[in-house]
Amino acid sequence: MRVVVTGIGWVTSLGRGRDQVWQALLAGQSGLTPVRSFDAARYPSKLGGEIDTFATDHGADRPGRASQMACAAARDAVADAGLDLASLEPRRVGAGMGTTSGEPREVEQFNDLLVAGKTSEIGAEFLRRYPCHTIVTTLMGELGLRGPNAMIPTACSAGNYAVAFAFDQLRAGRADAMLAGGADAFSRITYTGFARLGAIAPEVCQPFDRHRKGMVPGEAAAVLVLEPLRRALERGASIYAEVAGYGLSCDAHHMTAAHPAGDGGARAMAAALAASELDSDQVSYISAHGTGTPTNDKLETLAVKRVFGERSRRVPISSIKSMLGHTMGAASAIEAAVCALAIRDGVVPPTINYRDPDPECDLDVVPNEARSLSVDVAMNNAYAFGGNNASVVFRRVRA
Amino acid sequence: MSKDEIRDRIKQIIHKVANVPPERIGDQASLRDDLQLDSLSLLEVGVNIDFEFKLAITNLDERMPSLATVESAVALVETIQAEQEAARASSPMATA
Amino acid sequence: MSERVVITGIGVVSPLGADPAALHAALCAGTSGLRPSAEPGLSDSMVGSIPDFDAAAYLGDGNLRPLDRTSRLATSAATLALANAGLDTAEESERRGAAGLALGTMFGSVRTIAEFDRRALTAGPSYVSPLDFANSVINAAAGHAAIWHGLRGANATIAGGSSAGAQALGYAYDQLRGGHFDALLAGGAEELSFEALLGFSRLRTLSTQPRPLARDRDGGALGEGAALLVLERAGSAAARNAIVLGEILGHGLGFGPGRDSEIALAMALADAIGEALAAAGLGPEAIDLVSTGASGDPLLDAAEARALGLALGTRSGGVPVMAVKGQLGESLGAAAALQTVALMGAIRHGQIPGFPGADAIDPDLGLSAATSTRPLAARHGLVTALDADGQAAALVVTARRAA
Repeated sequence: MRVVVTGIGWVTSLGRGRDQVWQALLAGQSGLTPVRSFDAARYPSKLGGEIDTFATDHGADRPGRASQMACAAARDAVADAGLDLASLEPRRVGAGMGTTSGEPREVEQFNDLLVAGKTSEIGAEFLRRYPCHTIVTTLMGELGLRGPNAMIPTACSAGNYAVAFAFDQLRAGRADAMLAGGADAFSRITYTGFARLGAIAPEVCQPFDRHRKGMVPGEAAAVLVLEPLRRALERGASIYAEVAGYGLSCDAHHMTAAHPAGDGGARAMAAALAASELDSDQVSYISAHGTGTPTNDKLETLAVKRVFGERSRRVPISSIKSMLGHTMGAASAIEAAVCALAIRDGVVPPTINYRDPDPECDLDVVPNEARSLSVDVAMNNAYAFGGNNASVVFRRVRA
Repeated sequence: MSKDEIRDRIKQIIHKVANVPPERIGDQASLRDDLQLDSLSLLEVGVNIDFEFKLAITNLDERMPSLATVESAVALVETIQAEQEAARASSPMATA
Repeated sequence: MSERVVITGIGVVSPLGADPAALHAALCAGTSGLRPSAEPGLSDSMVGSIPDFDAAAYLGDGNLRPLDRTSRLATSAATLALANAGLDTAEESERRGAAGLALGTMFGSVRTIAEFDRRALTAGPSYVSPLDFANSVINAAAGHAAIWHGLRGANATIAGGSSAGAQALGYAYDQLRGGHFDALLAGGAEELSFEALLGFSRLRTLSTQPRPLARDRDGGALGEGAALLVLERAGSAAARNAIVLGEILGHGLGFGPGRDSEIALAMALADAIGEALAAAGLGPEAIDLVSTGASGDPLLDAAEARALGLALGTRSGGVPVMAVKGQLGESLGAAAALQTVALMGAIRHGQIPGFPGADAIDPDLGLSAATSTRPLAARHGLVTALDADGQAAALVVTARRAA
C-alpha cells in the first residue's frame, strides 16, 4: 500500500499555519530571540526559539504546553487535509507523536513548590499533565480519534519515528488516516542542560559554517496527515508527497556523542533508501539534522558521504534549524513537512547565517537563499541522544 | 587547604564519577586514558570540582584541558584559589 | 512479509526475583513483593520495590555511574534476556549487533529529570550534572541498554503509562513482521521514585493492601522492575537452532478518552483485544487464560473486566484471570511486560497463580478468577493493559510447556 501526506499543521517560532511558516522559511527568516520564559541572566548564551504567539492555557484542567501546541498543530493539519473526521470511523483514525522531554514545565512547577517548602501544594494535576504520553492522549481525545496510537519519546529523532509508526499502521491496514508528528515545549531544564554542555550558540545558529558555535534550543509542534494513496485520490485530496520508506538505527556508541565515523546515521539513510526501493542517485534534496554544533554537522557530513559517495557534494542539503533552532522532538516532524512542501512546490529552504565554508562540511548546504529545484525524492535525517537515528524518504506522486 | 587535602577531595570526586577506588587513582593518571572517562564524564568531574572548591569558573569548557590528571586538577584549583585570594585582598571591601 | 514472531529469551528484574521460574513460583506461593516505601515522607505507602537491586550483579564491575536506575533495570533485564536466548556469546555478536530494542516506560526517569532541575535551582545552572542531563531524555534507558549490549537496530521507546510494555512488544512484532530486523528486545522498565509516588498519592489511587478485582478493592500500589523478551522472526530463530519459549500471535491497540470514564476505557481495551484476536486468527473461545493489568484500582479494574466482557462475550465469565500487580505492584511501563512473563510462566508450568483479592472477586465484574493457585492446561493466553489516560493494548501469546 502506498501512503501519502495530505495535511500539514505546525506551531513554530515563525508563526502558525502552513503557508505563513513555509514562506518565512523560504525567506530565510529567523525565529530566534533572547529567552523570555525564564530569567537567563546566569546563562552564557541567551538565545532561544520560543513561540510568543502561542499562549498557554493556564486553566485548572488544562493539559501541558506541548500537548496544547500538538492539538493546535493537529487541528490545522486536519483542516489543511480537508479531512472530515466526522465522516470517518473513529477507530480507523489514530496518531503517533514524538517528543524529547514531554512536559518538562510540569516538573519545573513540581520542583518550584518542593524547593520552596510547599510540597503540600503539589496536587493531582502533576500526574495528569506531566507524563509525556498525555501529548498523544490529549490529541486523540480532543480530535475524537480511537485508532492506533503511540507516544514515541525517542528524543530528537522522535518526529521521524512517529511518521514511521503512522506509516506502518496504514500499511498494515489498521487505519484509514493517521496523524503523525512531534511536540516539545521550551523549558529551563532543556536549556540548562544544553548550556552546561556548552552546546548553545552564543549569538547565531549557523549549521555547517566553519565558525559554527552550537545549537539553539527551540519549541514547536508539527503534525502531518497521512493516508493511503487510494483513499486520498478517491476523496480528491491534494497530495504533497508520498512516504516512500524509513530507516531506523542506533549508534550503540555514546549517549550524547554521535559515532565518530557517522556509522549509525549512514545506516539509517541506507536502510531508508533500501526500504523505499530507491538509489542514493535519485535523492534530490536532504533535510539535514544540522543542529549547528561543531560535531553534529561534521559527522552528518561524513554519514552523507558514506551513503552518497561521489555525489555527496552535489545533493542540496539544508538545515532549517538555522532559523527555528532545534525544536527537539518536533524538529524532524517539521522537517518532514518541509520535505513534503519542497516536493510540492519545487523549492528548498536555505541554511541561513552561512558565511565561511568548512572543509569538514563540504556539502551544498543551500547557503542563505532558498533555491528553486525540482524535488522528486527528499530525505529527512534526524539524530538523537541515545545514538538514535531515523531517516524518512519522501517522493513525488506522479499523476 | 593543604595540597594533600585538595588532592584527596579531587580523588573522591573522580571516584564517584569513574567508579574507581580513590586509592587506585594515581596522581599522574590520565583521567581520559587511564580511568576511561569520556568527555561527558570529564565535564561531570569539572563541574563537581568547581562546586566542591567554590571556584565559580565561568569558562569551564576552556579550562577542561587542565583536568587531564589529578595533579593538573590540583594545580588548577590552587591557581584559582590564589586568584580569588588576590582579588579579595585587593578589593576595597576586604578592608572595610 | 508476515512471518511468525517467536520468543526466544526472557529477562526479568522484579520485586519477586530476577528469574522467570522463581517469579512464577513466588506468584503461585502467594508471596508478596510489597514493602513500606523508603521515600522520605511517604513511608506509609506500600510499594513493589527492589531494595537489593544491584546492577553490578548483571553488568559486571564496569563504571555504572552514567546509568540511572531505570537504565540499570533495563540494561540488566537485557543482559538476562540475551543470555537466555543464547545471544550473549562472541559467536552471536553480529546477530546481537543487528538487533533492535523497543522499551516501554511511563516516565523514563522522572527522578533523574527532577534531581537535575533541583540542582539548578539550589546550586545554580552551572552546577547541574552533565551525566544526569544525558539521562533526562525519556529514551535514556533504551540508549544505555543499546550501548551496553551493542544493539544497533531500531531503538524505540514507547511511553504509554501502564500499557507501554504491551505497546512496545507490539511495536517490536511489527518491526519484525515488516522485515526490518531479525531480532528485537522488547518489553518495559520503570523505577520507583519520590516524584512518581508523591504524584500518585495526590491522585488518591494508592492502597496499602491492593486487592485486584476484589469487591473491597481500594487502590493499587506502585512498583518497579523491568522485563524484556527477545523476539525473533521464526525463520531466523530456526536457522540458529534457538530454543523457542513462546510466540506472539497478535497484538492490538485502542484508545478511549476521559480518564474517569469506565465505559470509554473499557471500549478502548475491548478494541485492542478484538484487534489482537483478529490478528492472531483466533476467536474468544481459544483464550485459556488472561493476564490482566488489574491493580486494585476501583475504576481501572472495572473497566478492564468490562472490556473482557465486551471482547470475549460469554467466554469472559469462564476464562481464568491473573492479576500479578497484587503482588508486584503497578510497575507502569514495565507492568505489561511482567504480565507477559507471568502468563508464559503459567502456561509453561501448567499452573495459574492466585492473587490477593481472588477470594472475594467483585460479583459486578462478571469474572470467575481462580480463588487460589491451581493447575491449568492452557495454550493461548491474553495480556491486557490499560492506562488511566486511555491508551490500551492487548497481546495474544502462547508458551512452550515444560517437558
